[in-house]
Amino acid sequence: MNSTALKWFGRSWMLLVYAFLFLPIFTLVAYSFNDSQLVTVWSHASLRWYKALMHDRDLIAAVMLSLKIAFLSALVSVFFGLFSAFALHRYRRFTGRGLLSSLASTPLVMPDVIVGLSLLLMLVSVQQALGYPERGLFTILLGHALLGTAYATVVVRSRLTEMDSKLEEAAMDLGCRPWQVFTLVTLPLLMPALLSAFLLTFTLSFDDVVLSSFLSGPGYSTMPMVIFSRARLGLNPSINALATVTIVVVSVVVFASTLYSLRQARQRKRDMALAQRE
Amino acid sequence: MENASKSPLANEPLLRIEGVSKIYDGHIKAVDQVTLNVASGEIFALLGGSGCGKSTLLRMLAGFETPSQGRIYLGGTDITELPAYQRPINMMFQSYALFPHLSVSDNIAFGLRRDGMAKEAIAERVEAMLKLVQLSQYAKRKPHQLSGGQQQRVALARSIAKQPKLLLLDEPLGALDKKLRVSTQIELVNIIEEVGVTCVLVTHDQEEAMTMATRMAVMSAGSFLQVGSPKAIYQQPNSRQVADFIGSVNIFDGPVKENHTNYVLVQCADALLRVPHSQPCQDGMGVGVAIRPEKMALSRKKPSAKVNHVAGVVVEMAYFGAHTSYHVKLASGKVLQVQVQSHADEDNADLCWGDQVYASWADNAMVLLTQ
Repeated sequence: MNSTALKWFGRSWMLLVYAFLFLPIFTLVAYSFNDSQLVTVWSHASLRWYKALMHDRDLIAAVMLSLKIAFLSALVSVFFGLFSAFALHRYRRFTGRGLLSSLASTPLVMPDVIVGLSLLLMLVSVQQALGYPERGLFTILLGHALLGTAYATVVVRSRLTEMDSKLEEAAMDLGCRPWQVFTLVTLPLLMPALLSAFLLTFTLSFDDVVLSSFLSGPGYSTMPMVIFSRARLGLNPSINALATVTIVVVSVVVFASTLYSLRQARQRKRDMALAQRE
Repeated sequence: MENASKSPLANEPLLRIEGVSKIYDGHIKAVDQVTLNVASGEIFALLGGSGCGKSTLLRMLAGFETPSQGRIYLGGTDITELPAYQRPINMMFQSYALFPHLSVSDNIAFGLRRDGMAKEAIAERVEAMLKLVQLSQYAKRKPHQLSGGQQQRVALARSIAKQPKLLLLDEPLGALDKKLRVSTQIELVNIIEEVGVTCVLVTHDQEEAMTMATRMAVMSAGSFLQVGSPKAIYQQPNSRQVADFIGSVNIFDGPVKENHTNYVLVQCADALLRVPHSQPCQDGMGVGVAIRPEKMALSRKKPSAKVNHVAGVVVEMAYFGAHTSYHVKLASGKVLQVQVQSHADEDNADLCWGDQVYASWADNAMVLLTQ
């Protein structure tokens, strides 16, 4: 094969991959503006399904529940993730360190179905013994926080590993007690990692369907659960509208944050170059 | 009565290290039975290669490590068990360890705020520190907006802002490029002397130690090989290792031929050497004789004396402006380094590769090394 042919092959291969990745999404977005009842037949453009979405109380309630659970579970995950990562990073020897280290990462590799099932079994027996907790928001939150903590631990721990340990020593040298070292130096430096851990665990919780299905009770259906159950009954085009809204929101957030961090990095590079020249 | 009023503390050195060891994992001796006094106002350098224990010793002074044995006293008070944040000791870190999220002035104020100083007093001190290191116009910048040399000065200002009794410098110029180092060395010493703080610094660079320190210790394998002024250590190294570590040196080996009261005759492969007596030795004992390259002279003519000269061939020469460096290969195969001042001897002006020369030196240019 000569080089032009190779180039064209490469280009079309790339196009094929992009098509594979994004064509379904484009179709979904396009069909959300379709007037037809049927998801697969195009009639003409309209905002009909967006109006329907606004009046779909069940779906809106599910979205609100999902947002609530995602927000709370992300908070809890980051909180526990921070401390477990800090303990694992700082204290090289303590009883149960190996156990904590492997337990903290187990949910990453364990299939969600197994985690969900085992949590369900446990919660059922706890409820039988104590009469609490009723399955619902709290139990879903518990499951998501469990999974999220594992991810948050990994994110925070990797940041801690690459952080200059001399900074903490310098703080202590300048008169910080251990807790002051943590609040005045370690925590501010971990902020970016905490933020990305929050976003990650938020997303994980927001699109989880497996754990939620095991752990929810009557009246507590998250957005993915509703979409999933409706899909089985035949898709309603308002789901397309909801998906489009979600895609837009996510794209805007991702685009903005990428732009922001890119500008930060560029500014930093310019500052450093400037400082060297002076 | 006069004596009684003088407390024993009057003679107490500022820093007293007594038989300090640091043992890792039960058998690895990072620092081995080190004893040292540092007087107030001294700039003391710990010099050694990597892994010699100098950094561990410094970290024990800072309070980041606890000695396995021995005690450390500061101004007569035992600080061995005192945590780092309670010691009146501050450290300037090798990589500076400036807080990246704080501005220059907040970095300098960091330690002062921990002391609960009044706001105005802190602002005043920070301003004075910035002025001292000539960074007043950079107060609001973040560390990454500064050049390496400026960062180094911020680190210095931060470490002396609390007016510590003892200042520790960990490879203070290690992160700077060669050109900046020389000027920074002098600047650093000037500031330290202006503030009047006692200083212990760690370095692997012998030039740095010699230019900055009033006294220094050469360390190896966790213990001190020699302690003294830079001049004493350079002129009178007490062992092969020290002679080799400090500057360049030529060492001749051979047995002691005659042992006199004032001098020793050493029979080397290339020459008979008459060396002043500095260390006890016996007839027949194998010793080393150290000579600095700049203490030798080169000549085409054979010197008249019977001792202290060798014959060889110039195999390498390099002109450095102020001096010329020659490599002279001797009959035994040994290559001698000789440094000749440019104006010293016009006779050498036309020395060239392959020339037959004699290197000679005075008795007192040599140091006898028995270990």
